Amino acid sequence: MSALLVAADLLREARSRRWTLALAGAVTLVLAAVAVGLRLEVVDGALAATRLFGGSLDTDIRSVDVALRPFFAATSWLVFFGGTVFGVVAVSDFAPSMLAPGRVESLLALPVRRWQLLLGTFLGVEALVLGGAVYGGGGMTLLLLAKTGVWNPGPVLAAAMAALAFAPIYAVMLGAALLVRSAALSAAAGFLLLLAGVVAGERGPIASAFEPGTARAVFLALTAPLPRLTALARAASDLAQAKPVAAGPFLGSALGAALFASAALSLAAARFERKDF
Amino acid sequence: MARPAERRTALWLLAGVLLLVAAALLTILSEGGPPVRARPAVEFPRHLRAPEYQRMERRAVLPPAPPAGPRGDGPPPSRRRDPLLAALPPDPSRSVVVFEANALRHSRLGELFLGCLGEDDARVIEELRRLGIDPLKDVDRVAVMPEGLAVSGFFGKARWSELMDGAEPARYGGEGSLYRRPGGQPVAGVWRDQLLVLASSPEAVRAALDRVEGRAPAAPPIPEDATYGEVYGVLPGEALRALVPPGASGDLGARLAEVASRVELHADAMSDVAVTARVSGQDRAALEDLARALGAALAVARVEARASGDQELVELLDHARVVRGGEGFSLELALPAETLERWFAGCRERAGSPPRGRPQP
Repeated sequence: MSALLVAADLLREARSRRWTLALAGAVTLVLAAVAVGLRLEVVDGALAATRLFGGSLDTDIRSVDVALRPFFAATSWLVFFGGTVFGVVAVSDFAPSMLAPGRVESLLALPVRRWQLLLGTFLGVEALVLGGAVYGGGGMTLLLLAKTGVWNPGPVLAAAMAALAFAPIYAVMLGAALLVRSAALSAAAGFLLLLAGVVAGERGPIASAFEPGTARAVFLALTAPLPRLTALARAASDLAQAKPVAAGPFLGSALGAALFASAALSLAAARFERKDF
Repeated sequence: MARPAERRTALWLLAGVLLLVAAALLTILSEGGPPVRARPAVEFPRHLRAPEYQRMERRAVLPPAPPAGPRGDGPPPSRRRDPLLAALPPDPSRSVVVFEANALRHSRLGELFLGCLGEDDARVIEELRRLGIDPLKDVDRVAVMPEGLAVSGFFGKARWSELMDGAEPARYGGEGSLYRRPGGQPVAGVWRDQLLVLASSPEAVRAALDRVEGRAPAAPPIPEDATYGEVYGVLPGEALRALVPPGASGDLGARLAEVASRVELHADAMSDVAVTARVSGQDRAALEDLARALGAALAVARVEARASGDQELVELLDHARVVRGGEGFSLELALPAETLERWFAGCRERAGSPPRGRPQP
C-alpha cells in the first residue's frame, strides 16, 4: 500500500514535469497528424484509395484490415522502440531527484520502508509509461475505427507490450541511480540494457557467428538472463496486425522480462538497504 | 549475529540472483529452436522474367512467317516462331489456356498432386508409358482451346497408331501426319513428333498444322511476351460470367462480362501458387467502378469467411487484392505453399486409395 502511495506521489510530480508534458504532446501531435492527414476510402470493407496530406498513395484494393497491416506494424515498432527511447530520456531523473540530498532524508523519515520507496518509484514510472503507450495505441485504434470501421485492438496490446519491455530497463536505471546519483548515467544504463536486450533477442543468429567453444559459450551465458526485447517487439508487431503469436516463446519472453526486472529491483533494494544518506 | 539491515541486504541479494537465474532458465527453455525467418512475400506473375525469356527464345524454332500483304510483298516478320503458339486459333473471342505441364510436374503443387494419385491414375500413366509417351517426362505444354488440345513435348518413341486405336497415318503438309480413329472422332494431328493436336474435326487439325507450317496466317491469341507463369492464357470477357458464382454481390459476373473485353491469366505454381488475372476493356470509368466493386466483394467474402470460421477461405482471401494500372486492373490471388501442403495433407487417405502403384517420377 505504501508503495502505491509513493507511486501516486510520483505521478502527481510527473504532471508538472516538462518531459511528461512533451511525451503527451508528442503522442497527441502524431495522433492529430494521422487524423488530419490520412484519408482512407473504404468501400464495403475494402480499402479503395488512400490520401496522405493530400497526396494520393498508390493503393491496391484489398480488405482494409489486411491493407493496414504494414501501418499497424510500423505503428507498433514506433511505439515500442520510439516509446522506449523517449521513456528512458523522460524518466531518467526521477530516481536521482528522489535521492537528492535533503529530499531522500525527508522520504526516509516517513513510515515507508526503503524497498517500498524503490518499488513505488518503479511502479509510478511504469504507470506513467503504460499510460503514455496506451494513450498512443488506444488513440490510434480509435482513429482507425472512426476512419475505416475496423476494430483492431492490436495497437493497444502493442503499447502494453512496450510498457512491459520498459520494466527491466527502468529497473536497471533505478539500480544505476542508486550506484551513482546521475540522470545521465541512469539514462546510459537504460540505453545499454535496451541495446543488450536487442542483442539478446537475436542471440541465436549472433551466437552462430562465433566459433563453437569458449567465446560462444561466454556470449550465450552472458545474454541468457537478459530480456529478449526484439522478441517482445516482434510479438507486439504481430499482435498489432492481428496475426497469431506463438504462445510459448511469447510467454517465455514476457515472463523472462518481468523476472529480470524483479531481479534488478532486488539487487537495487540490496544496494538501497546498505546505502547511508 | 548479523544486524537486520545486513540480513535484509543478504536476502535481497539472494532474491536478485535467484530471480536472474530463473529469468535465464525461463527464457532459454521457451526459446525452443532458432527463430523462424519471416517467409518471403508471395511474388505475383506480372511480366516475363529472365528464365521465362530464355525459355521463350529456346522454343522459337519455326522460321518466321511468310511476308504478309496481298502478294506476299509486305515487310517480312523477323522473329522465329513457337510451334505451339502458332497452332493456336487466332480468334480473339475464344478462350485459350496453356499449362506448362513439365514445369508444373516439378512444382510444389505438382509434387503434392502426384502424391495424391491413386491406383487407377497410375495404371493410365503406365499404359501411356507402354505406348511410348511418359506423361510425367515427355509432355512439355498443354494448350486447352475450344477446338480441343494442343500438346507439345518429345514424342519420338510414341506408337501413334496404337495410341489412335489402329488409325493409319496420312501425310499432311511438310512434316505433319493426320490420324483419324476408325469411329471418326476425335482427330489427331502430329507435327515432327513434337506437337500433337487433338480436335473434334479434321478441319481444325488441318488449320492448326497449316498455321504451324506457314500455309495459313498465324496470329497467336497469346503473345510471346505473355508466356510467363506455369499457366497462362486469355479469356474473353464473356467467359467471366461463368467464373463468378451467381448471386455474387451486385451481379458481378454480368458486370464483368459487360465491361471487360479481355482477361489475361497468369499463374505461378513452383512454390506458392500466385494467380494474376489482368482485366482490360475500353471503358476506363466502368473498369474503375468494377475494380472497386470486385475489391469490396473480396473484402465482404473475407469477412463472411471469418464469421463462418472458414479459415482456409480466409487465408486465400488474405492475399487477394485488386491492383489498378495499365488499361484496366489486375485481380491477384495467392495460396502460400504451406497452405497448399495443409490442404493436400492426407489426401490419399481421404481418397481411400492405397499407396501402391504410385507413378515413378
